[in-house]
Amino acid sequence: MFKKIIDAIDRRIELLDLFRQNLSEYPVPAGLNIWYSMGAVLLALFCLEIITGILLLMNYVPHAKEAFASVGYISGVVPFGWLIRRVHAIGANMFVFVLFLHMLSVLLMGSYKKPREMTWVVGCVIFGVTLTTCLSGYLLPWSQLSYWATTVATNSPGSIPVVGDWMVQFMRGSDLVSQRTLGRFFAMHVSLIPFTLLLLIGAHVFLMRRTGISTPPWSKTDKTIPFYPHFVVEDLKVIYFFLAILFAFVFFYPQISFPPDALVPADPLNTPEHIKPEWYFLANYQLLKLVPNEFLGIIVQGLAAGLIFFLPFIDRNNERAAWKRPIFGPLAVFGILAYIALIIWGHYS
Amino acid sequence: MDENISRRSFLTKLIGVVFGATGILFAAPVVKYLIPKSSEGGENIFTNADGKPILENEIKEGASFTGLSRSGPTIIIRRGGKLRALSAVCTHLGCLVKWVPNEDVFFCPCHAGKFDVNGANISGPPPVPLAAYNVETANDGRILLS
Repeated sequence: MFKKIIDAIDRRIELLDLFRQNLSEYPVPAGLNIWYSMGAVLLALFCLEIITGILLLMNYVPHAKEAFASVGYISGVVPFGWLIRRVHAIGANMFVFVLFLHMLSVLLMGSYKKPREMTWVVGCVIFGVTLTTCLSGYLLPWSQLSYWATTVATNSPGSIPVVGDWMVQFMRGSDLVSQRTLGRFFAMHVSLIPFTLLLLIGAHVFLMRRTGISTPPWSKTDKTIPFYPHFVVEDLKVIYFFLAILFAFVFFYPQISFPPDALVPADPLNTPEHIKPEWYFLANYQLLKLVPNEFLGIIVQGLAAGLIFFLPFIDRNNERAAWKRPIFGPLAVFGILAYIALIIWGHYS
Repeated sequence: MDENISRRSFLTKLIGVVFGATGILFAAPVVKYLIPKSSEGGENIFTNADGKPILENEIKEGASFTGLSRSGPTIIIRRGGKLRALSAVCTHLGCLVKWVPNEDVFFCPCHAGKFDVNGANISGPPPVPLAAYNVETANDGRILLS
């Protein structure tokens, strides 16, 4: 019966042909390693964030007077609300972490080079939009941590000459972080950004399909395997590995995403001691502390972001493996180590 | 054939114009909607977070009070019987400063910036002093800032 329905549909719209072309008969290089599954892990985490986000939306109230209580209601009263909230918050952290790994592997294996420059550029935009998603979602619980981390983050552009103050006010919707900011961030977090991210991910996958998957620089084989089911199984292994890590944190160490200041409602007239942003903003935070001039700090960060964004157009060397390049290799490793060092320094400072 | 091409070219341009005009027509109110309203005029009264005015006699000698004024979060301290009002917003990244009476400084807990009693930035990353306000007391004890 089921087969008959499928056959009837297939005779009309040739769905199975699409399945064969794009999955079961789509060849991928045989020499791929686990680093090539990071995109699939990110897709899985994105789906998880969307599902948990929709569930949270059913009980969250986007109002400064009620947001914190509604989040408490989700965590304390709604059956399994605590699980949904923890998966959403810690999953977002894991998304950023895997995104870093994905970009790192592409960087070190030189996969951003011709003809995949556009894939890299779209990937960088996805990275920026992801950080915006995290920042906008961070404010929603309206805790001391979320309120003051958002105050600091939205204040940063204020040092830009001429338009800085206007930018801060535009982002916040008012002079201070307020109900208007919460309204803006809520709208961005639950509608504008997820749709944008979905479009960007679609574009990224489309570009990857058009240019083909790159092979590791050391791979000599021309052998291919079908994407489905052979490579899907490889993807699933890595996806479940990361899901295991995610749920280990969710069940055994949730405080990684919920420090004490996250458990106190926002007080706009009292900045708590030692307020720190999430780990992925710690390097930026520490840099702003180190550079004496705030505008200079923003310029340095902008230059670093620009360098990463335009990397495929700056680095035109044909050699892909970073470890075979005497200048680029050490520079890339130094950049990565400096970034990690700033994160650790920011954490302990 | 040539006629077809010119018709095609005309229609392409027409679609562009229609889309462009529609975009501008929709964009104008959207932009206006998104630009924040500026704060209203009137008396600049110092209040607590709920909007209740703080009375002059509520701030004791050597103590500080962080509240709101039309200029945003404001901190008032009393020294030698006189009230001194400054913006509580750190000029570095917008955290609120606290008065530390035994050191005679305003301290920002976010990046350890310090300001002296007049609001001048004396250490840490803050680039400029805190804004200072003139304080007047109304007959009913309310604190007015300018």
